[in-house]
Amino acid sequence: MLLECMMNGHAILYTGVTLAFWSTILIVGICYTIFDLGFRFDVAWFLTETSPFMWACLGIGLAISLSVVGAAWGIYITGSSIIGGGVKAPRIKTKNLVSIIFCEAVAIYGIIMAIVISNMAERFTGTTPETIGAKNYQAGYSMFGAGLTVGFSNLFCGICVGIVGSGAALADAQNASLFVKILIVEIFGSAIGLFGVIVAILQTSKVKMGD
Amino acid sequence: MTLLYVTCRLSGLVKMATTGTMQLRRISASLAFFLGLLSVLKTGNCDEQVPLILWTSEGVPTLDQSPPVAGHIMEQEQLSSYLEKALNEGPKNVVLFLQDKMSIEDFTMYGGAFGNKQDSVFPNLEGALRSSSSPLVLPAVSWPASNAVIGQLQDQLETSPLYMDPETLSQLRLNASSPALLVFRLPYGIGADLMSAKEILSGNDEVIGQVMSTMKSQSVPYTAIYTALRPSREAASLSMEAGLGGGRSLLQYRYRERERERERQRKLQERAGVYGPVEFKEGEETCILLWAKSLSVKILRSGRWEEHDLTPSTFGEGVSPKLQGSNCDKSKARLVLNYENVLGHRSFKLIFAMSQRHYRVSARRWFTLDAVELEYDGTKATFNGSRNIYAPAEYSYRCESVTSFRWPLLVPRSSKDPANQWRVSFEDFQIQGFNVSGSEFSYASDCAGFFSPGIWMGLMTSLLMVLVLTYGLHMIMQLRTMDRFDDPKGPAISVPQTE
Repeated sequence: MLLECMMNGHAILYTGVTLAFWSTILIVGICYTIFDLGFRFDVAWFLTETSPFMWACLGIGLAISLSVVGAAWGIYITGSSIIGGGVKAPRIKTKNLVSIIFCEAVAIYGIIMAIVISNMAERFTGTTPETIGAKNYQAGYSMFGAGLTVGFSNLFCGICVGIVGSGAALADAQNASLFVKILIVEIFGSAIGLFGVIVAILQTSKVKMGD
Repeated sequence: MTLLYVTCRLSGLVKMATTGTMQLRRISASLAFFLGLLSVLKTGNCDEQVPLILWTSEGVPTLDQSPPVAGHIMEQEQLSSYLEKALNEGPKNVVLFLQDKMSIEDFTMYGGAFGNKQDSVFPNLEGALRSSSSPLVLPAVSWPASNAVIGQLQDQLETSPLYMDPETLSQLRLNASSPALLVFRLPYGIGADLMSAKEILSGNDEVIGQVMSTMKSQSVPYTAIYTALRPSREAASLSMEAGLGGGRSLLQYRYRERERERERQRKLQERAGVYGPVEFKEGEETCILLWAKSLSVKILRSGRWEEHDLTPSTFGEGVSPKLQGSNCDKSKARLVLNYENVLGHRSFKLIFAMSQRHYRVSARRWFTLDAVELEYDGTKATFNGSRNIYAPAEYSYRCESVTSFRWPLLVPRSSKDPANQWRVSFEDFQIQGFNVSGSEFSYASDCAGFFSPGIWMGLMTSLLMVLVLTYGLHMIMQLRTMDRFDDPKGPAISVPQTE
């Protein structure tokens, strides 16, 4: 019975990853404690020694990739519903492309933000925390935060619009007057992606990287 | 490097001891056995060999010498057996070309081995080998063995060597029956300057050519040997390269830089003796401890850096530097090292100012090296060290390199401070200013952590990628194919080709 349970690929993957993660944490923690080297665990050192470039580039990467994941997921959900519903009710095909466009907009927000953020990444000469300067650290962290913000907002926005759009297509296939009502729900869902973009712009408004 | 050198010499000596050619019976039996074992183990590692080329003049009956196995490094005994055979059966006149340094790589580089025979700098040597009846090339002879060649030839021919050059050779009258040993010293040159090496080898080849023609004009059969005392290139040993922190470098032009670094490391290793730290005692108890492998200061004067090595007057067996002005208490410690006549300043002081206190966030006492000051002639140059040099108050701080210029841990206090004209450097620095028990250091908190910032950045990014991979795998694994209309017992689907 246990074997049958374990045959499930998901279970193996997740137990494996969780086990690896927690055992690493446990062993590292035990070693720090036994050898009384807890003082070497220094978060401030990590934050000041890692390069602001890494943070900035992670932010840019996350901005575009998470947005695209959201958009793709939304389109996949909506698209399959439209195609499936269109078999029996071909009239829904053209009207429901609007849902796809809402999902695509999410990806466009993502790429615009990625380009805006990447334009702020400038070279700086400085290797130690003093010579790098507070402004560059602020720039790095802001860009990372903005990327995360826009990425995750667009991810969930895309999924939301996708699921609502799928429902809209299937409802439209049954009863044509339902489409417009459900479109309003979709508009609300799309607004949250926009919120993410606005906040990300605010986060990077004061960024000035360079010497 | 020095260990290898010593072991090579010892292995050479042991071989000589066992063959009995030299009177080294003083080595006790056990030591000889140990050295023999070491030499057997180290033979492969004695990776400095010189080639040896032997040929006889034309018209001499062929010698039957089996060439060595490829890759085999020839030691003293085997070489002497080869030479013995050559001298017993061959001509008794021996011409020995002894170059200062030579490696097989010289022939590879300059001998036109890459299809460019016309660029070869050894035309005379190659001609001699081609026309000889029994050429013998030993590509790897360990260099202690090649050094002993001249001694062995001397013993076997029972004549003393004559050091000559091509001009004096023409005045000499040689006889086929009486043995003679003529030695020609050939230079190699200093350093690894590529251009001059080629010219030098070309010049040496000219000398060989001249000697050959003179010998030919005298129509005396001879045996010629071309070898060297030392290898001209050292095989880069991995540990040294890794230790230099520069990684492996396959580019020839970096040879000089590596040599310089190697010299520096060698000097440091030779200097590392065993000595105690500088102790400052307040009353009966030791209060401050300081140790370093080397300590030097440099000042910038009229565009040049002038250096003064303070190690011999601070550290070493029986060296006690003057510590007037030092004091320590519970929260502050100050170590003052007083010197005289440093870089033209009559009184020179090196001051280490440390302090300790309790830090609320980490709930622990830490001590910092606040400043390293140089006081001379009323001027004070201050380096700030509190940013980087710190440790928990119970422990000592140790760092491999504490300098103000190379990955600096000490920075001048301000841009106008006189410290900008100075460079201070400590190698293998260890200091403790508080909680000293006895006269030994407590546990040393090293400046080098387990993970470097780069490793952390890589780990973070890799973790992100792993998360993405996990998520992707999850998505793919939940894809299901439609099996609602599957009927395993029904007929197989047939897709007709024609309509």
